[in-house]
Amino acid sequence: MKTFWSRFLGNPRVYLGLIWLGLLLAVAIAANVLAPTDPFAIVGKPMAAPGGEFWLGTDSLGRNVLAGLIHGSRATLLIAVLATLFAVAFGTFIGAVAGYHGGLIDNVLMRFTEFFQTIPSFLFAIVLIAVLSPSALNLVVAIATVSWPPIARVVRGEVLTVKSREFVQAAVVAGQGDAAILIKQVLPNTLSPLIVTGSLLIATAILVESALSFLGLGAPNLMSWGFMIGAGRSFMREAWWLVTVPGVAILLTVLAINLVGEGLNDALNPRLADL
Amino acid sequence: MNRRFVLALTLAAAALGGLPAMAQKSGGTLVQITQPEPPNLAPYISTSAPIGQVTAKIFDGLLEYGFDLKPKPALAESFEVSSDGLAITFKLRKDVKFHDGKPFTSEDVQFTVMEALKKNHPRGIATFRDVTAVDTPDPHTAIFRLSKPAPVILKALSSYESPMLPKHIYGQGDIKTHANANSPIGSGPFRFVEWRRGEFVRLDKNPNYWRSGLPYLDRLVVRFIADASTRTAALEKGEAHVAGLGAVPYNDAKKLALRPNIEVSTKGTEMISPIVELMFNTKLAPFDNAKVRQAISYAVDRQFAIENVWFGFGKPAMGIISSNFQPSGLFAAGIDFTVADRVERANKLLDEAGFPRKADGTRFEFVHDITPYGEEWQRFGEIVQQNLAQIGVKVTLRYEDLPKWLKRVYTDYDFAVTSNFLFNLPDPVLGVHRGVHSDRIRPGTVFVNGSRWSSPETDALMDKAAVETNEAARGKLYAEFVQKVSEASPVAYILEVRFPTVLSKQFKNVIDTPLGIYGNFATAHRE
Repeated sequence: MKTFWSRFLGNPRVYLGLIWLGLLLAVAIAANVLAPTDPFAIVGKPMAAPGGEFWLGTDSLGRNVLAGLIHGSRATLLIAVLATLFAVAFGTFIGAVAGYHGGLIDNVLMRFTEFFQTIPSFLFAIVLIAVLSPSALNLVVAIATVSWPPIARVVRGEVLTVKSREFVQAAVVAGQGDAAILIKQVLPNTLSPLIVTGSLLIATAILVESALSFLGLGAPNLMSWGFMIGAGRSFMREAWWLVTVPGVAILLTVLAINLVGEGLNDALNPRLADL
Repeated sequence: MNRRFVLALTLAAAALGGLPAMAQKSGGTLVQITQPEPPNLAPYISTSAPIGQVTAKIFDGLLEYGFDLKPKPALAESFEVSSDGLAITFKLRKDVKFHDGKPFTSEDVQFTVMEALKKNHPRGIATFRDVTAVDTPDPHTAIFRLSKPAPVILKALSSYESPMLPKHIYGQGDIKTHANANSPIGSGPFRFVEWRRGEFVRLDKNPNYWRSGLPYLDRLVVRFIADASTRTAALEKGEAHVAGLGAVPYNDAKKLALRPNIEVSTKGTEMISPIVELMFNTKLAPFDNAKVRQAISYAVDRQFAIENVWFGFGKPAMGIISSNFQPSGLFAAGIDFTVADRVERANKLLDEAGFPRKADGTRFEFVHDITPYGEEWQRFGEIVQQNLAQIGVKVTLRYEDLPKWLKRVYTDYDFAVTSNFLFNLPDPVLGVHRGVHSDRIRPGTVFVNGSRWSSPETDALMDKAAVETNEAARGKLYAEFVQKVSEASPVAYILEVRFPTVLSKQFKNVIDTPLGIYGNFATAHRE
């Protein structure tokens, strides 16, 4: 039987995804070195086409699109990863408690989860931002709030199957407390679907952040890819690069995350992959 | 003994309706785009911008105005102001009928002014504040009785600002919830036919219009198209013929102007005169210091904002009063904040004010609230942010929705600096005084004096100008007033927006009044 790593890294699509994500991460970390000026700074003639003094041109106010792209990778990734971490933490907690306890607590928590699931998530995010006012922190809160229910359902389902297994019963007989059993015995066995769902959630979070910024509900002091598309969409006909450049960046990033996520899924569930 | 100024307005029809009617092609349908769809068609209770774009065609005013803002006859053939300024006598036309066939009389004027506008119209409350009664000695004479002179009234009698309503319709029942609020009946060149929600309002020619031979058009359709690029495409393809007041994005208007079948006009905002400003919270340090406020006014690059955000549809503001008032003699320029060495001046003022640059190059920082009217305001906020960074002031932008922003600025005064959009309207008494008069510091009332700055001298100048019936003397008062406001700079007046009106060349005479798309289109005709 092949190990997880050999299955994961033996997949060429995963390599493509990892290369792009690694590059992106490096750019995000080194943003201030690669583009030392404020990405909002007016540095040149407005709407200069790519290929001149500025490799990717300038926007409607004469801001460097390349600098925006570099700093945008940082904002976009940070918001998406933080939102996903919050969503995974909260979703796991709700799902684990509901699945492990069952009965009334399960019923209450699942109805609570369904309440969030029934509201169309993007509209819900818009409402939250409108109420909280746009800022980086509120974007994280809004995206996390609309993203946790699927995590809760996945974790609950896994906990339900795992908790009836013999090693859990053995732990009960051995006298371990509920919290210890849940954390030490049950949750580690739900990790593989959680990792897969969570990694794909980052892609969704990037899309939600971009869509909110596109609608003008992004953080006004933060250069993100969605902000760049939102600010450039009015000029699509005369300055194609304003939407195309960040648009392609989003496309590639979401694609890369999906490739890696699928690779994880195949590696963690080898029987499914062989089908 | 009682000398009377007679501002004789010679026979109404001669001026406008009497133009050689045969020369114009009659017939045709003009399609106007209005954005957004109006909430109702009741211009007597709301000044919401899209309402007037429809109803100004359905109702008439007592007067109309030329581009110099001088009155011209409409429903009133002539008017006369008594020498003490306390009575204005209007002689009404005798041949005017409402769309339901009933005649227009002085009773309707009395009802409209005293019952409808003075009590319900957001601006009418201020315009007609000093009108104590409207006398009706005969059906074709209406006399406004005033408690003190109010020259502003003669600027506010257009079909857009003060539509004359039929008393026998709107006098029945509660005017605030009137059955005809969405199916208006007036005396104007077009009569209301149908409103298909989300799609269009259809107006047809009023065959009994009192200006014989007018209107030339058979039909006027006002379409509502939610998406900006669809609006632009409709104009480009000739499916729609006229749109203005922000219905077409500025950069699209600039592009459309290059097309052979389209003309883009910046006329028609002379009675609206919108000004983009930066309003300071003058009760909050450091904006309680006039030098700081002036420094920021110097630092903003007005020309850059005009070219790159408003795409050329504007000019730098020279003070609190719009240059549109130049022909009527009420305009005066204040301090010129567009001088070549403005950045040095700004730096010097901040040094003098006691805000030297710290080790990191900054002097102080603040949060700049952005007017939530759309993306050009975000871009403007970003420009201000960059401009102020040059003089060592760090700006953080905040963008909230309209109700939150209004509450923050005009109720809680919980702001440092906000961008703002204030209209000068047809007269400074309506559009300018509200911004800086001490009696306009009213928590909870929006678009008044949010900076909370005032001074006894400027208050006195405004109070005098409001009752001064001689235009030249008014102009002198305003010149002094503008200079004083400019020195204090409670608001940085940035630029005057000239809204582009996009017009199909298939039609002529569409925008022929200072009200632009708020005009009645009676003389609009096919090429």
